[in-house]
Amino acid sequence: MDEDKVMVVMTSGPDTPRRCATPFFMATLAAAMDYEVTMFFTIDGTLLLKKGLAETIYPKEGGKSAGEFLQEALEAGVKMTACTASMELHDLTQEDLIENVKMVGGASMWQMAEECKTVLSF
Amino acid sequence: MSKLKGCDLPEDLYYFIDKHIWAKPMQGNVIRVGMNTVAGKLSGGKLNAVTAKTKNIGKEIPKGKSLATVESSKYVGPVPAPVTGTLVKVNEKLDADPNLAISDPYGEGWIAELEASAWDQERSELVTGAEGLETYKAKLEAENISCE
Repeated sequence: MDEDKVMVVMTSGPDTPRRCATPFFMATLAAAMDYEVTMFFTIDGTLLLKKGLAETIYPKEGGKSAGEFLQEALEAGVKMTACTASMELHDLTQEDLIENVKMVGGASMWQMAEECKTVLSF
Repeated sequence: MSKLKGCDLPEDLYYFIDKHIWAKPMQGNVIRVGMNTVAGKLSGGKLNAVTAKTKNIGKEIPKGKSLATVESSKYVGPVPAPVTGTLVKVNEKLDADPNLAISDPYGEGWIAELEASAWDQERSELVTGAEGLETYKAKLEAENISCE
């Protein structure tokens, strides 16, 4: 286990906009605390990594889009990973996703989780 | 108090201008650290939380690493150490009123105190005085930052 690694698992997607800000916020915050942060997107969360989609999701009317929260997390250094099985669920390919997303299998998620001090799931 | 583009920036403080942090030598090698008015402006208004990593008290924090984090409705980010030093104290008043860090940034809103490891060497990497503020002014103009 690495003391400096944490992971945020994101399962919420476009159907639940109000659940699409806090996971990014918490990841950005952890990066600001100098943790090495990985977000793992699965189930509907993976849809937020589809090019252009997160920009259309507003967790709060009149507030920032999920795309802005996602961008802030990327700028803070959060690594983004997408579950390959959820890609299949939504008929997505790597080309459909924004840049800098690594596709990983479920077993990789388990290994990443084992290396982390904390795993936070949304 | 000097004003640069509407931002209050006292000449007698040292500034880590990449991150808009001030540093003030106290007694001995103790350096008090806070956010300056530029950081306050960039944070977008009222702060919801300023949280220092209290488990780091007694540990050496390298320059640029996070001393604390700042949260507002528009912003979340680190308060990096302007110089390398051992974290000796955090401002507990910020627990009750985090917004002090921007409403009274050079007074009651200081964030942490470090026992500097190499102040005499690292101070040269910060800017201070009238000349230093000219450097800061150029940065604010280049990045189109204004407190007005």
